[in-house]
Amino acid sequence: MKSSLVGQAVILAALALLPAAGEAIYFRDKISWRSAIAPSEMVTVEQARESGDTAIWVDARPDEDFAKDHVPGAISLNEDRWNELLPQFLAVWTPGKKIVVYCSSLSCNASREVAHRLRKEAQLSDVFVLEGGWEAWLKKKR
Amino acid sequence: MKTAGKLPTINYQRSTNRRFVWRIVDFAVAGIFIYAGALKAFDPVQFANDIDNYKMLPWPVSVALAFYLPWLEIFCALGLVFRFLYRGALLILSASIVVFTLATIAAKLRGLDITCGCFGHASQNWSFPAHLVTNLAILAGLLALSFKATSGNRLQMRSNFS
Repeated sequence: MKSSLVGQAVILAALALLPAAGEAIYFRDKISWRSAIAPSEMVTVEQARESGDTAIWVDARPDEDFAKDHVPGAISLNEDRWNELLPQFLAVWTPGKKIVVYCSSLSCNASREVAHRLRKEAQLSDVFVLEGGWEAWLKKKR
Repeated sequence: MKTAGKLPTINYQRSTNRRFVWRIVDFAVAGIFIYAGALKAFDPVQFANDIDNYKMLPWPVSVALAFYLPWLEIFCALGLVFRFLYRGALLILSASIVVFTLATIAAKLRGLDITCGCFGHASQNWSFPAHLVTNLAILAGLLALSFKATSGNRLQMRSNFS
């Protein structure tokens, strides 16, 4: 192959696009392009409300935001004061309850991180992230 | 005069041995990238999260790279095995290992405790020095192959010219 160095690299880069596109189609239900949270780990405001008393709302936003306003009955659990707030949350949590974590909006990461830590460090299952976060909850409230 | 007749045979033997050794290096480096690429291609969701952990790129870009980079690695590695688009493959693999190494160092400097994701789940518990040493060893192999490919081309051009 006598093509130039850059030409060779471009051909290889183009060739790799084909299986990558195929894989993207194959995995379309397993990964979301909008958010790092898998679709199976997310709940909408309506789904979370349907759970009623069987759901515990967890506010992953900073303390100041929680103090201003929050979902009624929500418990504050953010990463800034994780070690302090986790025992308070665990005191309220009972087995079988669905945990719905939210942060400020669709683009925030706090709810995803808190949900991940609840699963990994507190070994809890049934942990979900609220799609759209606090903003979505406010919209549906109106 | 007796030894004069043997010299070309000895030189030919040495040249064949060297070529054989370089082919082993080709296969070793290619094997590493095929293994790493296949692990990530089988679990693009995990790899997207690994890329996202660097906190450098927006999520949709991490997803796109998670689908694309493993196949790029595999194709380039196959390029090394079959000596097809060989120098282009070396260029891409060298660039990718440099970018990953720099990103790992930058993440470490920013205090992020992350897995590089280079070898999927296999590298999840690797320490930072282990990542660095592995990446530098692979880069050394790639640079050696690049140097060999370039010097080989020059020698061929010279012989063609004379």
